Amino acid sequence: MIWIAVFLWAIVACLAVAVHQRRGRSGVKQGAAFVWKQAKGLSLRLPFALLTAAFLSEALPVEHLAQFIGPQSGVPGLVLSALLGGLLPGGPMTSFPIALVIFQAGAGTPQIVSFLAGWSVFAMHRVIAYEAPIMGWHFVGLRMLACAALPVLSGLLAAAGIAALSLLHIDAP
Amino acid sequence: MPETPSTGSGWRIGTSDMVFVGLALGSGLLCLWLGGWASVQRAVGQAGRLLLMVIPQLGAGLLIGGLIQQLVDRDRVTRLLGSESGARGLMLSALAGMVTPDGPFTSFPIVYALWVAGADAGALVAYVAAWSLIGLNRLIIWEIPFMGFDVSLLRFFVSLPMPLLAGILARWLVQVTPLRPDKGPRA
Repeated sequence: MIWIAVFLWAIVACLAVAVHQRRGRSGVKQGAAFVWKQAKGLSLRLPFALLTAAFLSEALPVEHLAQFIGPQSGVPGLVLSALLGGLLPGGPMTSFPIALVIFQAGAGTPQIVSFLAGWSVFAMHRVIAYEAPIMGWHFVGLRMLACAALPVLSGLLAAAGIAALSLLHIDAP
Repeated sequence: MPETPSTGSGWRIGTSDMVFVGLALGSGLLCLWLGGWASVQRAVGQAGRLLLMVIPQLGAGLLIGGLIQQLVDRDRVTRLLGSESGARGLMLSALAGMVTPDGPFTSFPIVYALWVAGADAGALVAYVAAWSLIGLNRLIIWEIPFMGFDVSLLRFFVSLPMPLLAGILARWLVQVTPLRPDKGPRA
């Protein structure tokens, strides 16, 4: 974590030097003024956004889901998996352990693919905490619509892939 | 072409800010109702830690966006990643999303920087989709250790074409719906 921040600030330093060389002090000042304006807007929204994400991951229990998304649950199971994945609160640190529990409890492989893809694409907590405050709701809406079918699609492709592998007599996941 | 988002000049509280306050209050009450005060306290502590963790990276991300804006030729980014950039622009931004390491506090400032620099909605959506679906960092650090090679790689390969698909769809949606991400974060 620390090294990523150090790395990013090193990039900032390099960019600042580059801007200073090419556009002088006024270039750096213009850039900084622009950033200050953005930061002021975020300073109000970000703390409340992070609070919301934390409250949601405290409040909602997400286990006991495997029974609804078993290998026989078909396309409705894929759709449900994608939706459930999107509701999964928290980053990879909390989400993958939960996905593993659900998988081991008997969810189907294509359903787990759809579940993880749904989490990747919709991730409500990430939308509330980062995407909406930084990019605005218009972008969120557009991206959600454009990505809406992807998790189910990847679940279907996964099912097709598994079928193809078993035709070739290769052990499918 | 996306406009430079503006957030106003003063410390005014806008509608969008009120939405976030409302969401926090609502979810806080839900948390209190379902889990009691202990649960609320845990959540507040968690959010505080997250904020401290995020601020250095978010600050750097915003500065990178602001400085790059001074450096790059907007026309060039628009040519590479703008609405006329075709499938090549979508693939370039999907590739960038795929190799972006780390969490949303790194990737969204980059999305923002690309937006300010002149990338179009399709390229931005392809970037976010690639980062979230086929990000290499998360695949290696998180998914393979937890889910195993078989499931992880199956998921990775079936997801490969998705960012391109999402980008194409986003470009089409921009034309047929009022959803244009050019109103800025306050919209």
